[in-house]
Amino acid sequence: MPQPIISLEGIHKYYGEVEPRLHVLKGIHLDVTQGEFVSIMGTSGSGKSTLLNLLGCLDVPTEGSYLLGGKDVSQQSDDELSRIRNEDIGFIFQSFQLIPQLTVLENVQVPLLYGESSIREKEEHCRSILDSVGLSHRLSHRPSQLSGGECQRVAIARSLVNDPLILLADEPTGNLDSKTGQEVLELMDSLHGDGRTIIMITHDQEVALRAQRQVRIHDGLVIEEAS
Amino acid sequence: MISRKKKELLRMGLQSLLGYPMRTVLTMLGVVFGVGSVIAMLALGAGAEKELLQEIGRLGIQNIIINSVEPDQPENNSSSGSSSRRGWINYYGLKFKDHRQIVETIPGIERVLPVHLSKKKAWNGSRWVESTLFAVEPDYFEVFGLEIASGRALSPQDEEDLARVCVVRSGLLQELGIYEDPIGYVLTIEDQKFTIVGVLSEDRFQGYAQKALVADARSSEIYIPYQTVLKRQGTRSFSGSAGSWEATDVELNQIVVEVENLDQVILTSRTIENLLSRNHPEKDYEMIVPLEVLAQRRKTQQVFNIALVAIASISLLVGGIGIANIMLATVTERTREIGVRRALGAQKRHIIAQFLTETTTISILGGVLGIFLGFGLVQILVIFTGWTAVITPISIMVALTISVAVGITSGIYPARRAAALDPISALRHQ
Ligand SMILES: Nc1ncnc2c1ncn2[C@@H]1O[C@H](COP(=O)(O)OP(=O)(O)OP(=O)(O)O)[C@@H](O)[C@H]1O
Ligand SMILES: [Mg+2]
Repeated sequence: MPQPIISLEGIHKYYGEVEPRLHVLKGIHLDVTQGEFVSIMGTSGSGKSTLLNLLGCLDVPTEGSYLLGGKDVSQQSDDELSRIRNEDIGFIFQSFQLIPQLTVLENVQVPLLYGESSIREKEEHCRSILDSVGLSHRLSHRPSQLSGGECQRVAIARSLVNDPLILLADEPTGNLDSKTGQEVLELMDSLHGDGRTIIMITHDQEVALRAQRQVRIHDGLVIEEAS
Repeated sequence: MISRKKKELLRMGLQSLLGYPMRTVLTMLGVVFGVGSVIAMLALGAGAEKELLQEIGRLGIQNIIINSVEPDQPENNSSSGSSSRRGWINYYGLKFKDHRQIVETIPGIERVLPVHLSKKKAWNGSRWVESTLFAVEPDYFEVFGLEIASGRALSPQDEEDLARVCVVRSGLLQELGIYEDPIGYVLTIEDQKFTIVGVLSEDRFQGYAQKALVADARSSEIYIPYQTVLKRQGTRSFSGSAGSWEATDVELNQIVVEVENLDQVILTSRTIENLLSRNHPEKDYEMIVPLEVLAQRRKTQQVFNIALVAIASISLLVGGIGIANIMLATVTERTREIGVRRALGAQKRHIIAQFLTETTTISILGGVLGIFLGFGLVQILVIFTGWTAVITPISIMVALTISVAVGITSGIYPARRAAALDPISALRHQ
């Protein structure tokens, strides 16, 4: 059995400072190995986004340990968490979260700003990633000039720029019609085919089935679904 | 490597500004006007100081001027201290003895010039002018920088010959109705004839210089050789009208001391003051030290300048508040962008740097435009008011430094607010 790339042990997450605090995650155990494509389902308010934020180091668990690539990241400084997000994690959001005043190419380059390598050095790299998501003809467009599907593909390109350990997607097709949603999912499939580790939240059973492994969050715990 | 990274961050900051060009320009305006008015005020202040320097400089910055003054109650018979009255002769002021003692006892002196004045009528045919006769040594013209417009100044030879020659101001010629070439023209002063050998240009007799030179605005000074007056006429002058007459005897009306070294001027003036106060307990003289006057007037001017700049700075302050205000609004408006950048790996310091880049760029650009505006304002003021204005390199540096400071201080609070945002809620912000 290979070393898991993500290893959650007894993760608890409470919201709020005053009692009664909201107990959202109640002791989650979850291992994800390199190259897995995992979908997370669950009712609204069950804590899917909470879990994904923890995995993405946007937040820290109240209790429990989180090993990412063998490194404990559950109690790191703010700057250290920023660095981990920059180097090891690629985010894909439901609402794309592109920066409106920047062009497609510039949006994809944003993660480079906060890392070691320079934008100039990686210019070709960025272009080829945009090419691989089918947007090489849109480099100098602004997000407002693109369709939803194109925006999401820009966001996916952006998530790949620093070659992260894991890709985290929170309902990536939630804002798209079914056809463009399909295109985005096909893109995710091909990334999985390239050996990427992907964790994707979805409401849609059918979407979830595209993943090789499905988990469900229920009552603050993770339940594996038999596929 | 590091510096290239910084350059990229800088470029990213600038891109955001270009993304909202209208707002950037409007935000900049406050700084533009603020810096413009600071530059203009500094220029006016420097101009006033320059004028002051010129005006007082005419008196000769290395000179000490001592004038005789009539004591407060010359008519009073009660003899107090050393009597200032001999019979009905009004006898006061600087003495030959003072002149001699200054020459003999005060060190570090280049020249000491005696000046005697008398009021005389000057005639040209049937026209006359009440004029002031200045008995001066030839150096007098050089020491005060009086320029000869035509002809020549008085010479040592004139002194030796007790020559009856004179140098006049051009204004006097007009009053006497002399319109042809004045050189060689003969004036009758009292009952003696004096030949005009030189005419002074007028531009030296203005403002403070006029008072210290004991010149008057009517331009009726006539300069004649010191020895001529002393040997031929003496120092006593009479004035009278039907029945009564009065005599005045002032040996020297003015002593001009030129000090060798500029840094000895104040010290020398103190020594002379000591000497004179011993000789003249009744204080029938006044000392004018142009250097001291300059220092005083400068101090006053500087207080005034500071007040001007302080007022101008208020508009700069308002400009800074404008930037802070817009930036705070921008932070709210761009909360999601901040969240995105944080999610993609921006540390707090990156966010701070980004906003500070924006505010300092706005204010530096505003500062540069403000400098141009300042130049324009100064031009307009100079044209419409005729004031002197000088834009110094220092004022430009001051303006730029202030605008950088404004940019940083007005950006720091909004930037910290932006960096303190929680990434998750920032991402969810509508
Ligand atoms: N910052 C927060 N402060 C307090 N409560 C929060 C916060 N974030 C989430 N919650 C609460 O935690 C619970 C889990 O929220 P979460 O966003 O993880 O749900 P979700 O499974 O992603 O739901 P959805 O499918 O609607 O996106 C919800 O009840 C929510 O109200
Ligand atoms: Mg959610």
